[in-house]
Order: sequence, then C-alpha cells, then structure tokens
Amino acid sequence: MSGPSPLDAAFVGALAQVAGLSIDPDHLAGVSRNLGVLLDQAALFLDPLDPLVEPAPVYRP
Amino acid sequence: MKLCTIHSGLAGIVAIAQAVRDGHVSATALIESRLTRIERLNPRLNCFTEILFDRARREAERIDTLVAEGIDPGPLAGVPFGVKDNYDVAGRVTTAGSIINAALPPAGADAVLLQRLTAAGAVLVGTQNMDEYAYGFTTENAHYGATRNPADTGRSAGGSSGGSAAAVAAGLCEGALGTDTNGSIRVPASFCGIFGLKPTFGRLPRTGTFPFVHELDHLGPFARNATDLALIYDILQGHDVGDAACADRRREPVSHLLDTPFTARVALLGGWFEEKADAQGRAAARAVADALGAVAPVVLPGAEAARAAAFTLTAASGGNLHRRALQSRAADFDPATRDRLLAGALLPANIILQAQRVRSLFREQLHEVFRHHDLLIAPATPCAAPLLGQPTIEVNGQALPTRPNIGLLTQPLSFVGVPIAAVPVQGDALPIGVQIVAPPWREDLALRAAALLERRGIATTRMRDSC
Repeated sequence: MSGPSPLDAAFVGALAQVAGLSIDPDHLAGVSRNLGVLLDQAALFLDPLDPLVEPAPVYRP
Repeated sequence: MKLCTIHSGLAGIVAIAQAVRDGHVSATALIESRLTRIERLNPRLNCFTEILFDRARREAERIDTLVAEGIDPGPLAGVPFGVKDNYDVAGRVTTAGSIINAALPPAGADAVLLQRLTAAGAVLVGTQNMDEYAYGFTTENAHYGATRNPADTGRSAGGSSGGSAAAVAAGLCEGALGTDTNGSIRVPASFCGIFGLKPTFGRLPRTGTFPFVHELDHLGPFARNATDLALIYDILQGHDVGDAACADRRREPVSHLLDTPFTARVALLGGWFEEKADAQGRAAARAVADALGAVAPVVLPGAEAARAAAFTLTAASGGNLHRRALQSRAADFDPATRDRLLAGALLPANIILQAQRVRSLFREQLHEVFRHHDLLIAPATPCAAPLLGQPTIEVNGQALPTRPNIGLLTQPLSFVGVPIAAVPVQGDALPIGVQIVAPPWREDLALRAAALLERRGIATTRMRDSC
C-alpha cells in the first residue's frame, strides 16, 4: 500500500461543507490523512465495470 | 474428572455443564472460582469493561436451585461466559467501547443471543472490552484501555472483540460472544490462539446489539475447542424478527455431526492470501490445508479490490451511522476513530456505488469457486500478535502500518458474508489463526473441519496460567 495522498486541508473543509458537515480545524489534518488513505484504496477498484454488474444483493431460491 | 479440572475450565463446556447438571459441582462454586480468577487476572489483561458479580451470582443460584429441584437447567448449565460490550445487557448502558454512548438509556432487555445462552443455563460474568464502536483490530481503546494478550501481555489481543477473545484464552470464561464486521472475531481468535466462528451473514440475529456497518455486521462465538464452539453456535441459531437481515431459516445443528466421517474438496487460497501473510501464517495455512487433503491452490483475482472496497465502504457506512455524534460530540471520540469516520463521511457517491458493485462481482467469483470446492483455507492474519502500540507490521519484507492492515486477509471474505471458522495453530512463541471458509449456510463444513483438525493435533489452544 502506498502512503496516503496529501490532501489540502482547505479542500477537505470544502468537501465537508458540501456533505453538510463541519470539521473542527484541529481535526482537519487527521481527517485529510485518512481521506487520502481511503482514496488510495478506492483507486484499486475504480476501473469501469460491466454495466450489468448489479450492486443489489441477489437472492437465489 | 478432578474438580480442579472443572474449575480451571480445562474440561470444556460439555463436561462442565454435565458436572453441574449431575450435581457434582455447584454452579455457585464454579462461578465463584471464575470470579476469583477474573479478579486476579483482569487487572493485568483488561478484558472486562464491567464484571457483573451480582448478576452472575444470582444466575448461578438459580441454576443450583433448578438442579436441586430435579429440573435440567440446560446444556450450558453453570457455564461462565462473557459478551462484547456492544451486546445489550438488561439494566446496563451498552457502551460499544465509547464514552458517547454513556448518555444512552440502559438496555431494557438482554440481546437476543444473550437470552438464548442464558436460557440454556449459561451464566454471564461480564461485558468485554473492544475497539471504539468496533472500528479497529487491536482493542487499544482510548477510553477503556488496551486489552493485553494472555500469550504475551506486551502484545495486542487483536480486535475489535479483543476483550472477549483474551478472556476465553485466559480461562476467565468458557465462551464469549463477539461481533465481526471485517474480521473482529477472526483476528482476536488468531492473536489469542482460540477458536472463533463468523457465521453466514443473516444466520444469527443481531437484535439488541449496537451496530457498526449494518450490511457487514455478523455476530458469533469464541471457545477454546471446536466442540464447545459448535455447541454454543447450535444454541445461538434461530430466526428473530427484530433483525430485518436475519434469514428466516430453520436451525441446522452441527454438534452431532462433529465426529461423523468427513470428506471435502479443500483448496488453499493462493495469490493475495499468500502474498499478504508472513512465513508463520503461510506455514499454518499449509499445515491445515494438508491435513484436510487440499489439492491445488486457488487464486481469487478480485481479492485485493474486494478488500479495498470493504475498507472504503466500512468508513463510509460508519461515518453515516455516527454522523450526528460526529457533529455534536467530535471531541469525545477516540481521535483515530473520529478522523476515519469523518473521512468516510466525505467519500463521493461514485466510490460507494462502485464498492457495492465490486462486492457483487467478488461474490460471484467466490460462488464459482465453491462449485468446485467445499472449503477454502487461508491465514487469518498477516502475522501473529504485534506488540501493543507497534506502528508497523512486516509482511513479506514490506513494512505496513499496523492498524489498517491487520484485516488484509479477513476483510475480502466477510465482505461477501460467507461463514468462516478461525482455528488456532500454535507457533514456537505465539499462535496464529487459520480461516476455514465455507459456502453460504455451510457452517457445518467449517466446524467439522475444525473438529477434525483438533483431533489430529493441528489446531489446539494453550490456556495460560491454568490451575
């Protein structure tokens, strides 16, 4: 796993605003670091999928 | 059998309960001996968030009264057990490892699985330590302290059900109930060297437990041997309307099958599950696979993506669940938990939807493999228990941050809800767990394999500080 991507705290603050969250300035650095880890992980599964891949649980008889 | 053996817990649940049912040992004496042991060892191990002296004594007296009246108290008569502190206990606030939950009202009733164990005669001795809101793999809780591993008290007991696993490993109780969202039963079972079961998603009702990630949360038991594990599991089974995700499925008891002849098509998982394990984990998985007659290894090419998707979806779902507290009481979270949950709450919808579709793909991949195999074998953890506070673990020559990577081998599998037994394989110094992965609803296969491995001496528990 690579290290977390550096994310600008102001960018993270703006993202939080869009999400309707307020983040204490003292917590921004930690949140930014963790968001970087999550985005690095997400990059491992963002290749396009067959459009028919169904996200809902499929129940079989 | 010597009373010393019964009191030490070495006898196993079946023998202990039989001794109580037959009147050879009183439940009260048994519980007192276990409470004494807890008082002696818990200050060092920190397995319990609360020791329920009064309740345990009251329940033990009730069992003894039933025996005296000639009434069978049940298959777990007098057996001391504990529950992770995200199970409701009537009259007590369910902390889920947080201080934020302390503001909640006390639970009005026991969790359904706790009710089932109690109805079978088991005696609850306490609630057990965990990572805050079950979000972690080390049980280093900022509010309630770290749980120490009985095999080496400088090391992690694993998490998030670390208090439960350590208590069973140290003989403070005979069994315990934990929860497993990404590996929180299998990881502490591995580090503490005991048996654990994460059943199929939807098998056991979660009614009366505090959630973490609704679509990934499983409940399950810990025990020191496969027979005890199967017995507890059998008693836990059954539908409950209080959990919408619980399948309305008949009970499928396993205990009576453990000694029957057993053959299965078994494969060792290669690829990701080999690359992300150290030499001890690989050797343990190989020993288990060989003992079960495994043939060629199987590779699941989607495992890395599935792990990443589970990791991401967990943060997003947890962030959503705790959104209100993250706004109103952010400072009361463990900083490590808070920052991860907040980051999860910021993830774009595209990532979440893609993670869910990746899960569908991986589920299909696993179903295809199970057309040709009955059981898959993999190490439970990348390494044996790390030191408390250890910043990195070394896996195949690569230093990885400890906390986010302990679940590398458990997360892809629980992501698709299949049943998995974790069995302990002893090493020179420390044990490590091996996952026995079965198709959906086939817990019987995993538990029968666990019992077979125990009979052959491959999977064993070493209880520390016995009588």
